[in-house]
Amino acid sequence: MIRYIVRRMLWNLLVLWVITVITFGLMHAVPGGPFDREKPLPPEIKANIEAKYHLDKPVVVQYLYYMRDLLVPRYSPTLPTSLQEDALIRWKIGPGYFLWINLGPSYSSRSRSVNDIIRQNLPVSFELGVYALLVAVGIGIPLGILAALNQNTFLDYFGMSLAIFGVSVPVIVLGPILVSIFGVWLKWLPPTGWGTPQHAIMPSIALGLASSALIARLTRASLLQVIREDYIRTARAKGLAERLVIIRHALRNSLIPVVTVLGPLFAALVTGTFVTETIFGIPGLGRYFVTSITNRDHPVIMGTILIYAIFLVIANLVVDITYAFLDPRIRYT
Amino acid sequence: MSRSRAWWWLSLVALVGLVLSACAPAATPTPQVIEKERVVEKVVTPTPVPRKVLRLNLGPGDVPTLDPSLATDTSSIQIIELAFVGLTRQNEETAAVEPGMAERWEVSPDGKVWTFYLRKGIPWVRWNGQEVEQVKDEKGNVRYVTAHDFYYGAIRTLDPKTGGEYAYVPAFFIEGAKEFNEGTITDPTKVGIKVLDDYTIQFTLKEPVGFFANIAGLWMLRAEPQWLIEEKGDRWTETGAYHSYGPYVMKEWVHDSHIVMVANPFWPDNIPSVPKPKIEEIVFRMLDESPAFAEYEAGNLDVAGVPLSEIDRVKADPQLSKELTIAPVLCTYYYGFNVTKPPFDDARMRLAFSLAVDRKAIVENVTKGGQEPAQWFSRPGLQAAPTLQTHPNLGVKYDPERAKQLFQEVLKEKYGGDVKNLPPITLMVNQVEGHIKIAEAIQQMWKEVLGVDVKLETQEWKVYLKTLQTDPPQIWRLGWCQDYPHASNFLKDVFYSTSDNNHTKWGNPEFDALVDQALKETDEAKARELYAKAEEILVAKDAAIIPIYWYTRVTVTKPYVKRTFSVLGGLEHIEKWDIQK
Repeated sequence: MIRYIVRRMLWNLLVLWVITVITFGLMHAVPGGPFDREKPLPPEIKANIEAKYHLDKPVVVQYLYYMRDLLVPRYSPTLPTSLQEDALIRWKIGPGYFLWINLGPSYSSRSRSVNDIIRQNLPVSFELGVYALLVAVGIGIPLGILAALNQNTFLDYFGMSLAIFGVSVPVIVLGPILVSIFGVWLKWLPPTGWGTPQHAIMPSIALGLASSALIARLTRASLLQVIREDYIRTARAKGLAERLVIIRHALRNSLIPVVTVLGPLFAALVTGTFVTETIFGIPGLGRYFVTSITNRDHPVIMGTILIYAIFLVIANLVVDITYAFLDPRIRYT
Repeated sequence: MSRSRAWWWLSLVALVGLVLSACAPAATPTPQVIEKERVVEKVVTPTPVPRKVLRLNLGPGDVPTLDPSLATDTSSIQIIELAFVGLTRQNEETAAVEPGMAERWEVSPDGKVWTFYLRKGIPWVRWNGQEVEQVKDEKGNVRYVTAHDFYYGAIRTLDPKTGGEYAYVPAFFIEGAKEFNEGTITDPTKVGIKVLDDYTIQFTLKEPVGFFANIAGLWMLRAEPQWLIEEKGDRWTETGAYHSYGPYVMKEWVHDSHIVMVANPFWPDNIPSVPKPKIEEIVFRMLDESPAFAEYEAGNLDVAGVPLSEIDRVKADPQLSKELTIAPVLCTYYYGFNVTKPPFDDARMRLAFSLAVDRKAIVENVTKGGQEPAQWFSRPGLQAAPTLQTHPNLGVKYDPERAKQLFQEVLKEKYGGDVKNLPPITLMVNQVEGHIKIAEAIQQMWKEVLGVDVKLETQEWKVYLKTLQTDPPQIWRLGWCQDYPHASNFLKDVFYSTSDNNHTKWGNPEFDALVDQALKETDEAKARELYAKAEEILVAKDAAIIPIYWYTRVTVTKPYVKRTFSVLGGLEHIEKWDIQK
């Protein structure tokens, strides 16, 4: 098992490196640069800015600069005051600071580095993502089980209609409806903002509901399949209580496909979602995914994509390990 | 089965219960009775602080910077405008130049040397976590704003290492500034900015400029705290660090969420153009338009923009319609031609397309925000720009008959009188729903009036900008907003034959001569006549562009907010506002 995890980690590092190369190449291949403006900057002004951020160098050199800043740790007697020398990890060790992982400055938020953005906004997105995932799993799995155990009854149709409703009403519709009802009309909850538990309720539901529908449908389909397996018949035949049959035998096996989607779903939810953040005014990371691309803010594009990729590979690894607990037949050697 | 069903039902009910209980209203502070020795002594209620707090919205996304040398956008400049006062300050309602940190100024007879005399005794201040305090130097003396601070700010803006985008403005006007910014001279003393004494600063210009008092007040030429910037580097604008001196002080900046500013108690009360603030605290949220409007309706914002989808409802609502204001914004929405591409290499053809656009229909049925149909390019309200009162018949208006006539004339002359012989015509806009809607409406007008099919293409913003700079399509869209509210910023800075902003490939020496002459003209009425002549060439005689509408801002304001409405691109002077509940 340990060997398997180590091997997977090494592969993941390779995957991440390939992602940096592809992302870096693609974002430089798109027409338009970070300092192309509606009112074009005079050439000398643009030259000054490009020199400041090494944008005047060939792309390969820029990539090497980027990887150096990203990977090479530094030791400095003081915390850097320049955003270009900032670092994500700033540990006080002895008389100075250990600095590691510099994701660079942001070209559009000119008083903030990508490290600042990730330090300040990722925890917010992470918190919201976890709540949304709880909503998704908390509603999705029971609903799916309920529907499967009562196949073709009113409960099944009701549950699945609810699921289809959840999938087809996106956050961009559900969010403003929730805000209008609970925020503006009933005034039970603050319409926007972040910081208190009340603030988190509406966005978590809005974000989690669509995923809960997905999980409900998956759970139902998978459970229906498992229930017809021979070992379930065996379990029933040996006289086990129905509840035990379902929980101990059927459910555990039927959750494998659900866990598979939970990995990427988790990564997507915790790295932030643009629409939910915009509707509820949440200072998360999702907005930067979108605006960095339209702004051609290269370091922010790289930073957000790397964070997303890291979450994705870790989530997938965790999923693979979870399989071993869910299905006794799966073994990693 | 029945047992398991009951079990699942229970868990579902529990879950729903959990969600609902979480939705309970936020705890409201309830009076708490403290009992002491069986005698009810007092009822503790949260002390109602009679504070005047104003809650506004800046728009979605973090404020890019609070550094005057780096700011480029309205949100950043709004905060800077309150925290730092320029040498001069523009009146936000009339756009006239008024005294700011300079009490008075004078200009040499040749119009090239401008001397500004600063007010004395205005201290640098900061928020220390509890209150606003004066900034002291190493010896413990209060630091007052001096000409040295303004000099440092200007030189820092121009320094190539700063990488300030708006450095081009001072670089354009001030002697030696362009060379210093380019790095061809490295000695800042060669730049035409001199500190004559602690409270006098002098600018020497390359050429006489009648409105330099305007330029001297812009945000990239403010006093900056050298001691702080040298200590904190790029981080001097964060919460707790920021030193400033204007009517408001930045108290807190929670990135991507909000900025809180408090009134500066050390700001004097004897400056009529920048009065002592009455509102004690301002909270700027960073919300998208729709959520902000929801917060306004929930009573959590005092001022908000009205989203397009809500305008009809707001106008019909008895209460909201009273809170609605449509105010001018100094921007123009226009289409440009590439005059090298047929059939638009003929001015008559361009004019025909321009006259066929029913601007009134567009603002009434498509944009709906109370925009004004534009007859020419330089938005009325700019200094020296023509207005509808002074020049009611200037420029272009919807005239389908004349459009048809001109179109047929060129068609007969060059294309054998048959629309089929015209080269395919493309109109390109950037991929934004609002622009596409307008383009579709205009496409339809051209079809109806001229009988010509125009193809509509869209591109993503940055790709679109690249296209405009390299190979502009036959017809394209852009908007222009003031950097400084003077007609020159619209006419000379955009359509001068050598301007980088001129994507029409059109140039006319007569036009260039008129705007050059107007720039030197110190009498505003005379300058206005010159600009009117230039406009006539730009939009009618040569018809290089199609002006479509002049921008407005649609806002709602709670009745208890006593405010002014800024024409300076939404830049508000909140020190003049009040709250009267």
